[in-house]
Amino acid sequence: MAHDTHAVSIWDLPVRLTHWALAVLVPAMWFTADSSLWWWHTRIGHVLLGLLIFRVIWGFVGTDTARFSNFVRGPARVIAYLRGNYDVKAHIGHSPLGALSVIAMLGVIAAQVGMGLFAGDPYDGATGPLNALVGVGTADWITDTHEWFVYVVAGMIGLHLAAIAIYVGVKKQSLVGPMVAGKGEAEEGVEGNSRASFARFAICAGAAIGVAAWVWFGAWPLG
Amino acid sequence: MTRITKARLIAATPLIALLAACGDNSETEEVIENVASLDVPAEIAQRQDNFEGIGDSFKVIREQLEGDAPDMAAIQEAAGDINTRLQRLPDLFPEGTSVEAGFDTEALATIWEDREGFDEAIQNAVAASEEMMAVAASGDPAAVGEQVGNLGLNGCKACHDKFRVDDD
Repeated sequence: MAHDTHAVSIWDLPVRLTHWALAVLVPAMWFTADSSLWWWHTRIGHVLLGLLIFRVIWGFVGTDTARFSNFVRGPARVIAYLRGNYDVKAHIGHSPLGALSVIAMLGVIAAQVGMGLFAGDPYDGATGPLNALVGVGTADWITDTHEWFVYVVAGMIGLHLAAIAIYVGVKKQSLVGPMVAGKGEAEEGVEGNSRASFARFAICAGAAIGVAAWVWFGAWPLG
Repeated sequence: MTRITKARLIAATPLIALLAACGDNSETEEVIENVASLDVPAEIAQRQDNFEGIGDSFKVIREQLEGDAPDMAAIQEAAGDINTRLQRLPDLFPEGTSVEAGFDTEALATIWEDREGFDEAIQNAVAASEEMMAVAASGDPAAVGEQVGNLGLNGCKACHDKFRVDDD
């Protein structure tokens, strides 16, 4: 650990924007539901749907640290990391354990957003755009699950914040700084992240907005 | 929720998480104080449970209709339950138990501003539930299907549109 470090780029702008949008909009979803602001709840839900779709596509065609193939690794890496046999400063991007947390976080939020699309009752308040695709009983079950699953989402956020606190307290490393500025410290010789391509970003964003809009308008011809 | 309140909430939404975190939302604080200083009338929870029951029974009917062989006895029982529960409603809305008064409810103050209209809306729902009971007893699934629309739209929705917090 005696190596000198230098500032390198770690997170591209689309990853950071997606992250902070989730950080604001997921709590907003809880707030709007708790306050019966259904007009907002259903709209913000579609923004979240678009963000999730964007992040998944970006995970295949985005920059190095954004790609799933570069951070989702086998259990051997995770075990090595947990035993301390993984030099964080020698790598940029998600740690092996952090990678699992990213997948879990995205999965949990996607499950919650996905359930919301089918939730509700047309005779009783707001409904998701795909509510009519399932039967009354199924929609009712999905709605109930959607209601308690928020605690699973909150649990994931709690774990995420706890990990950040552990990094600051024990490892003396700020994870928040790079997620804001995009840059962090790495050992000499470790290269920074690749550059984001605007064309690829535009295609991913267009696809995400397109799918979210398609769902909003009832997912023709499914609906 | 009045238009003005709604507009304010809309304007505030992007900042809501922040405001809540900072405890700087005077409107929220006022409402919290209101609820803390008042005893919450039991009728609020009672009517919410009652509406849950109505919704569950209504779902029983709609779910039966989705199948090939609807259980008419179950539909009849559910229709009777809806009717019984609707008749309890007039007693479950004591004055001043609106969302505007700071309670955790979706009941709008318009209920008491237009109590006659509200009572009339309840009676429309009761009447629709009686029609539902009649067609359920007749054993004709198609007629029950028609009454689902009547009860849902003219009974439930007509009242919700006017007297309950906006839902879309």
